[in-house]
Amino acid sequence: MEASAATAVRSKTITVEVNGVEYEREVEARRLLIHFLRDDLDLTGSHIGCDTGNCGACSVLYDGLVVKSCMMLAVQADGAKVETVEGLADGNELTDLQRSFTAHHALQCGYCTPGMLMSATALLREKPHPTEDEIRKAIQGNLCRCTGYVNIVEAIRAVSQ
Amino acid sequence: MTETTVAPPKPVVAEPDKPQKGWAGQNVPRKEDKRLLQGAGVFFDDVKRHGMGYVHFVRSPYAHARIRSVDVSKALELDGVYGTLTGDEVAILTDPFFELSVPPGADMKDYALAVGKARFVGEPVAAVVAATRDLARDAAELVEVDYDPLPPLVDARVAEDGGAPILHEEAGSNVVWEGTFDWGDFEGAVAEADHVVKIKELHFDRFSSTPLECSGCLVEYNRGTGQWTMYCNHQMPGVGAIWMAPAMRVGIDKLRFVTQDIGGGFGNKICLHPYFVACCLLARKLNRAVQWTEWRTDQHTANAHGNERWFQEIEVPVNADGTMLGFKVKAVDDCGAFPRYEPLGCIIWAQVTPGCYRWRNIRVDFTQVVTNKSPVSPNRGYSRMQHLWLTERIIDIVAAELGLDPVQVRKQNYVKHEEFPYETPNGCIYDSGDYARCLDIALDLIGYPSLEEKRVDAESRGKLLGVGIGSTLDSGTNNFGQSMILNPELQFSGNNEVATVKLDIFGEIVVTLGTVPQGQGHETTAAQVVADILGCSPDDVHVRAGHDTYWNSHAGFSGTYASQFAVTGLGAVKGATDMLAGEMKKLASVVLGCTPDDIELAGGMARMKANPEVALPFMALGAILNANNAGLPQDLDVTLNCRYVYRPPFEKPDLERKYGNLTLTYASQVHACVVEVDPDTGVYELVDYAAVDDCGNRIHPQIVEGQVHGATAQAIGAATHETFPYDEDGNLLTPNFYDYHVPHALDMPPLKTGFIESESPFTPLGAKGMGEGGGAGIHAVCAALQDALRTRGSPIVTDSCNPYHRVWSLLQDPAASRAGIEISSR
Amino acid sequence: MLLPEVEYARPSSVQEALGLLSEYEGARPLAGGQTLVNVMKARAAAPDVLVDLQDLDELKGIDLGADGTVTLGAMVTYSDVIGSAEARARPILGEVCAQIADVQVRNRGTVGGNICSNDPTNHLPPLLVALGATMTIRAAGGERTVPAEQFFVGVYQTAAGPGELLTTISIPAGKADGFAAVTIGKDGTCIVNVAASLDGGSPCVVVGCVDAVPIVLRPGTDDEDAVRSAVRGANLQPPSDVHASADYRRHLAEVLAARAIRQAQGRRN
Ligand SMILES: Cc1cc2nc3c(=O)[nH]c(=O)nc-3n(C[C@H](O)[C@H](O)[C@H](O)COP(=O)(O)OP(=O)(O)OC[C@H]3O[C@@H](n4cnc5c(N)ncnc54)[C@H](O)[C@@H]3O)c2cc1C
Ligand code: FES
Ligand code: FES
Repeated sequence: MEASAATAVRSKTITVEVNGVEYEREVEARRLLIHFLRDDLDLTGSHIGCDTGNCGACSVLYDGLVVKSCMMLAVQADGAKVETVEGLADGNELTDLQRSFTAHHALQCGYCTPGMLMSATALLREKPHPTEDEIRKAIQGNLCRCTGYVNIVEAIRAVSQ
Repeated sequence: MTETTVAPPKPVVAEPDKPQKGWAGQNVPRKEDKRLLQGAGVFFDDVKRHGMGYVHFVRSPYAHARIRSVDVSKALELDGVYGTLTGDEVAILTDPFFELSVPPGADMKDYALAVGKARFVGEPVAAVVAATRDLARDAAELVEVDYDPLPPLVDARVAEDGGAPILHEEAGSNVVWEGTFDWGDFEGAVAEADHVVKIKELHFDRFSSTPLECSGCLVEYNRGTGQWTMYCNHQMPGVGAIWMAPAMRVGIDKLRFVTQDIGGGFGNKICLHPYFVACCLLARKLNRAVQWTEWRTDQHTANAHGNERWFQEIEVPVNADGTMLGFKVKAVDDCGAFPRYEPLGCIIWAQVTPGCYRWRNIRVDFTQVVTNKSPVSPNRGYSRMQHLWLTERIIDIVAAELGLDPVQVRKQNYVKHEEFPYETPNGCIYDSGDYARCLDIALDLIGYPSLEEKRVDAESRGKLLGVGIGSTLDSGTNNFGQSMILNPELQFSGNNEVATVKLDIFGEIVVTLGTVPQGQGHETTAAQVVADILGCSPDDVHVRAGHDTYWNSHAGFSGTYASQFAVTGLGAVKGATDMLAGEMKKLASVVLGCTPDDIELAGGMARMKANPEVALPFMALGAILNANNAGLPQDLDVTLNCRYVYRPPFEKPDLERKYGNLTLTYASQVHACVVEVDPDTGVYELVDYAAVDDCGNRIHPQIVEGQVHGATAQAIGAATHETFPYDEDGNLLTPNFYDYHVPHALDMPPLKTGFIESESPFTPLGAKGMGEGGGAGIHAVCAALQDALRTRGSPIVTDSCNPYHRVWSLLQDPAASRAGIEISSR
Repeated sequence: MLLPEVEYARPSSVQEALGLLSEYEGARPLAGGQTLVNVMKARAAAPDVLVDLQDLDELKGIDLGADGTVTLGAMVTYSDVIGSAEARARPILGEVCAQIADVQVRNRGTVGGNICSNDPTNHLPPLLVALGATMTIRAAGGERTVPAEQFFVGVYQTAAGPGELLTTISIPAGKADGFAAVTIGKDGTCIVNVAASLDGGSPCVVVGCVDAVPIVLRPGTDDEDAVRSAVRGANLQPPSDVHASADYRRHLAEVLAARAIRQAQGRRN
């Protein structure tokens, strides 16, 4: 192998832009992106609801695409831009989507909410006027145990009209 | 008086500009939302402490095994490992948890870690603490446990058989509790009836609400004071402390529970005491903060399931006109490896003994046993849901077998609107309701009159259409005296809840609740009640988020469980606010030189009714009493800090007859659903769904409707896919969300909701507790499936959870499901 | 959630990736991670080194050849397929990708990872076999192509062995394809799935979830009875688990084969 070639490392210093702020941290290769966000950067808005990638509570935007941050290593995010729930509101000014969530009572315990908001944000950026079916498909990977999704779908629909 | 009003089917979004009569009854924006929407909530796993260690439990891979030895030495050698805890240490440092049952259940020994024996797969056997989460897991893998596997018991029905393995040798039996409940005259009813329908066996599956946030805590030990602080998501700290303190041989004052936001509880976060005790012991042993996060697989395998129950040898006497006279059943309840909250489930069902029906002759033989499975804990709809599934199955099976119309037979047997308050055969007083009216609304919402056309349309597409109804009760505000029916020695009865409301120095109104909310919007509804009494806006009311034992705002039964906040929690808030209002008027009258009766509270002021210009802003009242009080009369008895304990009006039940009012309110739910079954595959879809709820006066209609949506989704999950089956070795077959399929947004049917409000005559605000629902959705789906398959040999739905493969089996062999049905007619 | 210790490398060319894979014993390619990370969370697998393929632009192309052949790079995600005009030349590709899990998984999961993991419940193995795809595998020593039917070799095993990389998947022109599945909930894990195609000469029906590898059936004609009897005659020995008994799976295979063929027939013209 040439000297410039990649070598395998057990830990690595990475630079990640999260919500517009650049962070440089050394992380173990095995660290999941969700744990990097929650434990290393103290951005505890993104949650963990499972250990198999099913629940979507950890959803974040990764270079603009919604992904489950428990299904990625933090080292993979070196050089990437990540958006989390903490970055949605402008200071204390909630986004229209966030306001619609409260107006329609789209959250109860609020544990699924950050992930839900990220999936909905991704949807609305791509498709500002989705149909109900498109909304349901967009949040299919986000489980909620409190709301039955009725008001979540309603909140997303209302803000897109 | 009971008044019934139809509320608009769609909640109206609050329009704050519009003047309203009162805040209660309005959809004010939830106070909790702003932080939760920004990821600024504080859940237990968000809390960190300097130098904290992470706990990882070593868990049993066997359902039943003797533990020969536990060797932690290799784990301790790993760099970054702070320490370990084993069952041997636990057995020395603690006593077994207090048991609620009489023997044999009372003799079952339950500790924080397995002592001597492991009794279910996933049971914690040892614990390791390390500098990082990952390292703790690495180290846990190095702990060597020598097991001697024993045959497991996985079928509750054979738990009492001679050859059955005994889980708890000290008890000498697998029975936790058994007893007979006999009300009315069942034999007489059989003699009088035209038909007796017999059903051999029905099975209510294990499942749980699986809150999205798993359990956990961060525990700090204060060496100086000997106190532990648990930042956690325990949803019933009052009872948690009753279990923990004696086992840890400390006073209850040594345990401080702190919660802020909790990611759903549904009863699954009530039995966390074994884990918390282990963490407390570790925090003390290692003299450092320790943190435990449960992962999903742990939650599914080893935290809390809902009770599994078998109903056997059911007999239902019925008259020719469809009037049912009661029923008899032998119930076998499977509570998993340890009783914990049990045997309360052996009596809780009795809150709704006859379901929604006027049945007067009921005999229930109830046995609860342990098995080598995850322990249970109260799961949303606790114990009533299982029983109500039985009453609804009885209705639909009897109707199908005798050719009765399921709607008519319900209406005929329902307790009638004019009969409320209605005393059931076991002395419960159903407070108010109108079940038949709810049923009509539900049927209307699913377009019942045109269903025959839809059935034909479905057939033309090769589908079988079915309709099902579930009518249930959500009994709320427990009379804990019912526990004495199980064990007369228990010193529990009645109920209580606490709230503190104070006017602070700058005029802030600060409310502290004894409850432990997990998404029910307590901050919001409490503020509504306070605002109405003090004549201000809910925005002016600051409700402390969460629970903290140090606030001293709780009582013995504090917590958020059993559908009671609207009654007990808000009852306490109302009581405390009434006291505060009285004090504020008294103080104002002293300052303004009049009598308290001359004062009214409005617009954030205490003012003279006769001359509203003469007024003191709340801030002045707060400042005068707290900081500028020279000259106030010495005998002025005003604190502006009022604590009220709401105590519902209960008597102790008659233990001999197992008779008495077991809860204060009985909210009702009628659900109706339409399914389409693909007869070639057994795959089915819910194509229409209506849920009609009656929980008396609704303080916040949107929150109520949200609870209905959530309870319905959970019931649909439980009816379709969510089940915790075990293999013969005692391995859970659905330990994750792949195999345990929770409904997602595409799985949910279009959900229509309707409401009536039958005011409760017994509660402070005319509201009834709600939120658990009675699992009406499970019954509705089961009934709809049975209806859909009626042209295919009329199979009987005998299980509460019907994944596609079960439906396919019913299609394949309808006779097998009917084997247990027998009708004898006069 | 907590992975075993592992080393990580991020090569910038296929050549470099192959070098790493052969240099480190116990090295494994990391594509979308939607299976591999899960398996590591459960500590059911503990590769020593993860070779992250994310920078390998060579593996991210979607090409449509003059003869209608669609060539997918191994690192093409399901979302890429769904959004690609070129991939639409064989419409079933995007349609089936759109049924896999959810948006988040589709944004990360790759076509290459899907077939290299060869999970019997995955969507793409039976589909690609039915479509007559060929896989290109590169090793340090050179490149070879393998027909899809021979790519899947055993329990979670494929023709792409240790030290090798699947680079591209070529799918010949066609459109008379069908796919039918019974899943746990809508768009959930497959209980049984069947892909069918009428474009490869004789009708081809491929059944997933019933064995370690997709089961290929060539009923001779696309007559429904022939298809059903081919499934019955295949003597399938599917697993029994919490979602389905072996009998139920066998029955579903037959019903779904008929449905997949019917869909393919509907698209013949
Ligand atoms: C919640 C959830 C639900 C899912 N549901 C479905 C479903 O319904 N249907 C379905 O089909 N899939 C499903 N999946 C799996 C998903 O499609 C995965 O993306 C896929 O199986 C693996 O692709 P990947 O790119 O993520 O590969 P990885 O997980 O990165 O890798 C998988 C395996 O393939 C190897 N590998 C990857 N690329 C190459 C290559 N180019 N050459 C050689 N070896 C390689 C890896 O070393 C690894 O062993 C689901 C996943 C999740 C998390
Ligand atoms: S934590 Fe459940 S999908 Fe990431
Ligand atoms: S609001 Fe509780 S999980 Fe969605």
